[in-house]
Amino acid sequence: MSQATISTEQALPTTPTRSRRRTRLGALLEGLLYLAPTLIGLALFIYWPIVESFRLSLNRVAPFGNRMRFVGFENYRTLLTDPEYWQSVRVTFWFVLGTVPVGIALAVLLAILLSYPLRHLSWLHRTLIFVPIVISSAITGVLFRWLYHPVVGYLNYWMVQIGIFDSMKDAPNWLSDKTWALVAVIIATTWRQLGFNVIIALAGVQNIDESFYDAAKVDGANSWQRIRHVTLPLLSPTLFFLLIINVIYSFQAFGEIDILTLGGPGRATTTMVYSIYVDAFVGTPMRGIASAQAYILAIVVIVMSFLQFATVSRRVHYQ
Amino acid sequence: MAVQTKSKPRSERLTGGDIFVQILLIAIGLMISMPIIIALFTSFKVPTQVVSFPPQVIPREWSVESYRIAWQVNPFGRFLLNSTIQSGVITICQVFFSVLAAYAFSVLDFPGRNALFYIVLGSLMIPFELVFIPNFQLVSAWGLGDTYGGLTLPFLVSAFGVFMLRQFFLTVPKDFHDAATIDGAGNWRYLWQILVPLSKGAIGAFAIFAFLSAWNQYLWPLIITNSVDMRTLQIGIRFFMSTLDRGADWGPVMAGSIIALAPALAAFLIAQKQLVRGIAMTGLKG
Repeated sequence: MSQATISTEQALPTTPTRSRRRTRLGALLEGLLYLAPTLIGLALFIYWPIVESFRLSLNRVAPFGNRMRFVGFENYRTLLTDPEYWQSVRVTFWFVLGTVPVGIALAVLLAILLSYPLRHLSWLHRTLIFVPIVISSAITGVLFRWLYHPVVGYLNYWMVQIGIFDSMKDAPNWLSDKTWALVAVIIATTWRQLGFNVIIALAGVQNIDESFYDAAKVDGANSWQRIRHVTLPLLSPTLFFLLIINVIYSFQAFGEIDILTLGGPGRATTTMVYSIYVDAFVGTPMRGIASAQAYILAIVVIVMSFLQFATVSRRVHYQ
Repeated sequence: MAVQTKSKPRSERLTGGDIFVQILLIAIGLMISMPIIIALFTSFKVPTQVVSFPPQVIPREWSVESYRIAWQVNPFGRFLLNSTIQSGVITICQVFFSVLAAYAFSVLDFPGRNALFYIVLGSLMIPFELVFIPNFQLVSAWGLGDTYGGLTLPFLVSAFGVFMLRQFFLTVPKDFHDAATIDGAGNWRYLWQILVPLSKGAIGAFAIFAFLSAWNQYLWPLIITNSVDMRTLQIGIRFFMSTLDRGADWGPVMAGSIIALAPALAAFLIAQKQLVRGIAMTGLKG
């Protein structure tokens, strides 16, 4: 990513003169002046909170009081033996499994379709397919809540019309059934992510050199064989990148869940992130245990991010 | 990685395959944007016709009554103002501070530059969930809970913006800087009079990213605002929806949603190309 900048520090002369030292000091001060707002902002609202979060995770609010009490790793111990916490881990697992593979498969399919050379209306296709990208998670939740309405919702009505269900009575009661509620938040989240995924996949598809296809054509490959044996293998760095970044985004999905189900029914859609929010901000705040959960979640996300950064440079090199 | 059709019309004749793909793409596109289209139509229905069976997509009669009701039972004007101030302040500050930092990381040369760059870049890996509880406590301790300051303060700088603009600044030939230096222009003047005008496109693209992610923020405004008067549109809609679950009120809820998504949608329609290019280039969405 930064190969371009790694400017090897100029070798210092064996006997640095005073003025040279002063210019280097001046350069440092000038640089810091330009960086000051960014560094201060990141220090206050990212780096210091990392430490503070850890401190919080080692404390617990004493019963009948507002005072925090140091408890060591007790919060982590409690979590690991708490069936409710493991339930949120399971929900997160199914949520990620439900959003990521389907989202990527759809994105690749759409990217291949979009790269079909059409002379007309390609701006319209793109606009219609990319547009969810600017819809917020909260509004996504609201739009889908209307679609999922069990009595007058469009989704059930259409599913009955095309014969997936016999009647409105058989159609799912999306948000009050435990299994369907999870499916409902998965669909909404996948929808919001789709535009982003298609853009990345399309960039990947268009990056593949035309000559590969020409060669395959000469060898007599039909369109399906060209997709299977040329597009997909050459797309693998993009696919890997999409996999990682989608897992990260899915781990952090919040708005749709809050609007559609509030984590319910029961705790059927309470993912790890939703559980942090509930413990920290709903009812009696339990910020110690919430911070411990945040730390566990963060470790997963940070490991994924490391992989992501590795693939960003791969993706760029691939061109 | 420009996203654009490589297509050169192979022949002037439309083939059967062309027509098939054309129809398929329009159908898929309509399916994907259907939730938005339905919301738009629902918001323009006469409130008594919003709930009907079988559900009807296109309004029989058009009406702005739902918008009037939404506006009457909620301080939507105030929500709109709050969202505008919140997103405006965040966007302006992020752009300004990111330009400064990107300049330091691309043009200036000083000891420790790379180490500092990695510190900035590394912050991109930190999930918001790890920092939002301490941030909430800090902002509250400063007495900024439920204020514009509290809404905006943690988001005034952007590591993503620094990264994106730095990548662009690096593509500007160093000769410009040398020429400016010979002409006696200092760094500050070179940055604002030459580099920034040359980078209008990239800066504009980042501004759109910054605006969209600020406008669409949800978790932070949800926890940091208390009073109805400080809610952003996203939060206003949430509470509007949660207070009523009777079918008749869906019209105004949809109207509110359309108000909340309209500015983001407009930004998308105006700057789709820059947005798409930015995402394809950075692999991030701000």
